[in-house]
Amino acid sequence: MKMIRAIVRPEAADGVTAGLGEAGFFSLTKMHVFGRGKQKGITAGTIHYDELPKTMIMIVVEDKDVDKVIKLIKYKAYSGNFGDGKVFITTVEDAYTVRTGSKGL
Amino acid sequence: MKEIIAIIRPKKIGPTKDALEKLGFPSVTVASVLGRGKQRGIAGEISCDISQEVLLQSNSKRMEYIPKRELSIVVKDSDVDTIVKTIIDINQTCQIGDGKIFICPVDNAVRVRTDEEGEQAVL
Repeated sequence: MKMIRAIVRPEAADGVTAGLGEAGFFSLTKMHVFGRGKQKGITAGTIHYDELPKTMIMIVVEDKDVDKVIKLIKYKAYSGNFGDGKVFITTVEDAYTVRTGSKGL
Repeated sequence: MKEIIAIIRPKKIGPTKDALEKLGFPSVTVASVLGRGKQRGIAGEISCDISQEVLLQSNSKRMEYIPKRELSIVVKDSDVDTIVKTIIDINQTCQIGDGKIFICPVDNAVRVRTDEEGEQAVL
């Protein structure tokens, strides 16, 4: 299993989750985060914003679905400008469902 | 070392923290998150009656995202089973929405105050 953490624009988050839902990946967790990237935040006029609000979408999928999910996120979160976000993939060794105590997704 | 990420009900966070503290794992990180599971978000999970008028007003018949707490804790490999068992025991209500637990490998940890690395840093 892999955990995919996608940091996307807040306004793109709903599009991403809707797209994931259509593709059959309903289960996800999202949270509001603040961050900056290579561009060191943004300067609008005379004001410099060091950290920008983003939404982090966290989804755990089987190994075979990883490419599909990344492709979907890339397509749905794309605007072509700086700040579209990043996707990180990490390993998950085990997953448990609390209600049943069973292993697996 | 392993990181245990548990996504649980908001009102269960207190009992879970107490139980983990009794076991000797007082250090946790908690964040409030929104999420949905296999059931695609659900209105029935909330234990209050929603009047038919309100349901008709809204575009969708269900809650898109359900508020949850994300609890993350980094421990030694040998402690993982005990903690998972404790979290499951405390959080089990046998109803949809109890949450999920993920176990991820952690390569290294550093304690900022003392520069300790590895397992020493999480003890």
